[in-house]
Amino acid sequence: MANLATGTAPKKLSRRNASLGDRIFDTLNIIFLCLLMVVTLYPFLNTLALSLNRAMDSIRGGIYIWPRDVSLENYKYVFQQSTIFHATLISILRLVIGSITTVFCSAMVAYTISREDFVLRKFITIAFVLTAYVNPGLIPNYLNIRDLGLIDSFWVYIWPGLIGVFNLILIRSFIDGLPDSILESGRIDGAGEFRTFFSIVLPLCLPVLATVALFTAVYQWNSWLDVFLYNSSNIKLSTLQYELQKILQNSSASSSAASAFSNPDAAANAVTPLAVRATMTIVASVPMILMYPFLQKYFVKGMMVGGVKG
Amino acid sequence: MDSNIESETSSMTSDQKPTGLKLFFKKLVQQRMLVLMSVPFLVWLFLFKYLPLWGWTTAFQKYRPAKSFSEQEWVGFDQFTFLFHDERFMRVLRNTLAQSGINLVLGFVTAIILALLLNELRGVLFKRVVQTVTYMPHFLSWVVAAGIIQATLAPDGIINVLMIKLGMIEKGQEILFLGIPEDFWTILGLGTVWKDLGWNTIVYLAAMATIDPAQYEAAEMDGAGRFRRMWNVTLPGIKSVIVVLLILNIGNLMESGFEAQYLLKNGMNIDYSENIDIFVLTYGINQSNFSLAVAAGMFKSLVSIVLLFIANNIAKRAGESRLF
Amino acid sequence: MSKKLLLSCLAAVLVFTAACSKDNKNNGSEASSSAVSSSPTASESAPASEPASEAPKDKVTFSYFLGVANAPDVNTNETTIGKVLEDQTGVNFKIEHLVGDLKAKIGTMIASNDYPDVINPDAGIDQLLDAGAFIDLTDMIEKYPNIKRVYGPYLSQMKAADGKIYFIPFSNVVGGYTADPNINQGAFWIQRRVLKEAGYPKIKTLEEYMNLIEEFVAKHKDENLTGLVTLTHDWRFFATSNVPMHLDGYPNDGNVEVDMSTFEAKTYYTTDSTKNWLQKLNDFNAKGLFDKASFVDNYDQYLAKLSSKKVVGFFDYGWQTGNARNLLTDAARQDPTQDDFVYQPMPLTWDGSKDQLQDPPGFVKNRGIGISVSAKDPERIMEYWDNLLKEENQVLRSWGIKGETYEVDDKGRFLRTAEQIAKIDEPFNLKFGFRYYAWDWPQYGTNSTLADGNALAPGYQPEVFQMSLTDADKMILEKYGVKTYAELFADPDERVWFPAWGIPKAQGSPEQIWETTKDEITKKFYPKLVLAKPADFDKVWDEYLTAFGKIDTAGYEKWYTEQIKAAIEAAK
Repeated sequence: MANLATGTAPKKLSRRNASLGDRIFDTLNIIFLCLLMVVTLYPFLNTLALSLNRAMDSIRGGIYIWPRDVSLENYKYVFQQSTIFHATLISILRLVIGSITTVFCSAMVAYTISREDFVLRKFITIAFVLTAYVNPGLIPNYLNIRDLGLIDSFWVYIWPGLIGVFNLILIRSFIDGLPDSILESGRIDGAGEFRTFFSIVLPLCLPVLATVALFTAVYQWNSWLDVFLYNSSNIKLSTLQYELQKILQNSSASSSAASAFSNPDAAANAVTPLAVRATMTIVASVPMILMYPFLQKYFVKGMMVGGVKG
Repeated sequence: MDSNIESETSSMTSDQKPTGLKLFFKKLVQQRMLVLMSVPFLVWLFLFKYLPLWGWTTAFQKYRPAKSFSEQEWVGFDQFTFLFHDERFMRVLRNTLAQSGINLVLGFVTAIILALLLNELRGVLFKRVVQTVTYMPHFLSWVVAAGIIQATLAPDGIINVLMIKLGMIEKGQEILFLGIPEDFWTILGLGTVWKDLGWNTIVYLAAMATIDPAQYEAAEMDGAGRFRRMWNVTLPGIKSVIVVLLILNIGNLMESGFEAQYLLKNGMNIDYSENIDIFVLTYGINQSNFSLAVAAGMFKSLVSIVLLFIANNIAKRAGESRLF
Repeated sequence: MSKKLLLSCLAAVLVFTAACSKDNKNNGSEASSSAVSSSPTASESAPASEPASEAPKDKVTFSYFLGVANAPDVNTNETTIGKVLEDQTGVNFKIEHLVGDLKAKIGTMIASNDYPDVINPDAGIDQLLDAGAFIDLTDMIEKYPNIKRVYGPYLSQMKAADGKIYFIPFSNVVGGYTADPNINQGAFWIQRRVLKEAGYPKIKTLEEYMNLIEEFVAKHKDENLTGLVTLTHDWRFFATSNVPMHLDGYPNDGNVEVDMSTFEAKTYYTTDSTKNWLQKLNDFNAKGLFDKASFVDNYDQYLAKLSSKKVVGFFDYGWQTGNARNLLTDAARQDPTQDDFVYQPMPLTWDGSKDQLQDPPGFVKNRGIGISVSAKDPERIMEYWDNLLKEENQVLRSWGIKGETYEVDDKGRFLRTAEQIAKIDEPFNLKFGFRYYAWDWPQYGTNSTLADGNALAPGYQPEVFQMSLTDADKMILEKYGVKTYAELFADPDERVWFPAWGIPKAQGSPEQIWETTKDEITKKFYPKLVLAKPADFDKVWDEYLTAFGKIDTAGYEKWYTEQIKAAIEAAK
């Protein structure tokens, strides 16, 4: 048992006596997944190719996974906006702070509402769940944020999204799935709620916490609507996605301005929304894609058993 | 702390007993640690989520942002009347439910299947590669994704080209997929799956990570084959997550998304593409009629909450895990 | 502010706050407020015609929200032009451009009653007027000689319903009207090789145009050509639906044709003109000459087709196809044989009578720049605008600096050398400030003429335009006996209400609802009509008429007629 805890248990077992049926299944599975990868990789390669192709040439269409007229102009155009470096910093900051606070706070509340005996359990659960389905509307929300003094503040990125219902319920259903014996054992040891939470629940929930961290990180990284509504006039609080949105919107004006140039070279090298959109997609998504493999290890291991034994 | 058996009854029904309130407060004091861990967040919830709900009053006004609350013109249920009496409303409601229903079923089924298939992989590296690659399209904005879908489905797109090569259609008879109204839901559903399949799988993979390997071993001892193990070990292991997410998402049936439909719609498929959100944009927000948007939002919330409670009740009766 | 207190308490309870509160301090709200620090020294003595030359004014920065995302945010004094203007007036503007949804942004401004000093809200102007966000400029305009001079002829048209002026539009013409030598407006475009093969015929009617295309495609069967495409994507649908209006010999007034003798406004969506246009497309479709993907393609796909060299003809507005046509022109510049694929614009009508595809001198009344009620010192802003409207500053913002971005020949004509043209690219435009002052300020409209006879816009100056032509361009223009593309088209008649689509409509008014519903019906039925079997066309047309009959078109036309008559009155 002990060695099973660390590795990928079911696979090792089945390899020992792999039948013909198993082999066929494995082969088909791999073929299917490869096909799936082709389908899901294509859009990304296509976007990459567009970002590396001269923008005016891309208008002609017909670019698939390979650039036709290679050019770094699009990246130059995006990175010449010096504002995006500071904005990236803010994006990273909100990603880190946002993920940590969300994971921690969600897990804490999830723990309390996973406790069958907690008197406020049902009330808290319903109070939270309902908020997923009610939307006060843009302007009331805005006025509320303003009254809370969060306009023109970094914290408007953290506070409103602190606990998401989806994350909360997800963590709770994981805690629910933990064998009672483990939580029991903690209590018998006389551990307080905080100790139980920190030393038993948190470590055992690592897979789901990693999941929530990933979801939150991506949400924090991608959102720009809050920048637009609350912090648009303060460049120091701008984020990468918001700056990229600006660049994208400018590109359409600049390409039509280029049409009016009497300068043929400038017109030939003008950027277009199509190309800038591809470029910003790459710029914004590569960090998120690189982050994923680091979190994957938390879903691969048989975490729980390790927890029981350890 | 008390044991679970006793508290099971007391927590829910405490206030109905004669000494209910007292008992309630007694328990509250006993559980002060849990209270401390959750109640501050209730305050947060109230401040950020419930307080701004005063905005719902605007559904009963002819709301002008410039005016203060007392100066607003009250119009009663006019906005709702406009909504429900518009002949298009039933159509956009139908489209909303159909689109999100298809997305819900397709999204769940495909994500669970992919998670199962990934779980069966032997090679860790290959598994990780597949995971990462299928996750990538989630990061394309819908504008980019819709552009690719449109190019794929165009008369000179890959689908038509393949169909001609396979002799399914004649050259010159290329199909305008996005021009066939009845196909729109399918296209939208498949497009959404394609974009978010890998992303949706993450949750289930995380759930599978907690399944005790001993269970697989035991199943194998019993001579269970591949599919039996999936059916008897893996699926039950993630069932509670599936059920809970299903309930949450059934509550979300009124939200069928906006961007994808907006970008893929055209004059030819509008009868099947336009959903509530697009309708509200066209006839509410674009006319600066914020009240209509709020009224539609309220209607959606109401239906959602009803759906949520129904789904939760069904789960309860079926003896499954549930939300509350 | 008890909520704030509550929030702080809440923060104290939650564990994490202490760890990361460091950032809280310096991310505060210093940036936006620090700018506006003007002391009220400003200008009670403002009407002086030389406001800048006296004692140098305190430097002051105003915030300027621009509802169009057409350039990166900037402080105007960071540009060459803006610096000169700041030296003259001491005023700098911090421009914030819209990113995201305009209505949402304006809605939040209004709801919180907190505005930037100056706003150009583009399409959000009705919302702001409705909210009383702008101050009344009527009396102030009288005090500023240059504003008075430039906008004097338009003042009556600038008045809101209450008789006051709240914002300053941009498209006023000063001096004579200089036409755009290029075709930025609507035209029927055709590949030059078609004209070449046919011996450069003078095409006047749609009939001739379509025959020409049909013959050409028939002669080049193996080339897999598309006869005609149209643009229908999203809001650009008008590129298809406006055509009957132009074929009737009217300019782009939006949804109505305005009779030149009775000044009645009539919609054209159910007229024979629309029916004939769609039937022509139907006919082309039946012959396999029309690209039916026109009704599902997005804008990018459309541009890709135009630049594929496979499309023989199309109708569109020049400004919507610039990128695709530039690409073809660029190819032709490098390889003259590619000139075959460059598109030539043609003016067409049903019967060959006078076209009105070129925009008449118009005055767009529902766009402009205004000073908000939150502005600290409106007089300084007006002073800046007045200074900007001096002729020399209009030359500065349009032509730039003599010897640097333009030259003057011995006859006093402005021109640009080849080096200067090559120098002015996108980064230069931003750095110098041409982009920031090209529009969005009180200004001479683009079609204006300077007092010395030069065109205000360099691109409209014949000397500059000629330099942009290739030999092939010059050759084909010569074949048609003209010097500019615009000369191919008839001169626009005077229409004081033009453009009729620019007449403001109240939010949520029956007129707005009519337009929204009309869009929906036409977008749904036009594809059906064009793609129907020719035999079914009349049947579908009747269905369309039934659907269209449900909206109050007569009421819409009546409203428009009233507005147009009012505009004529105001212009008298």
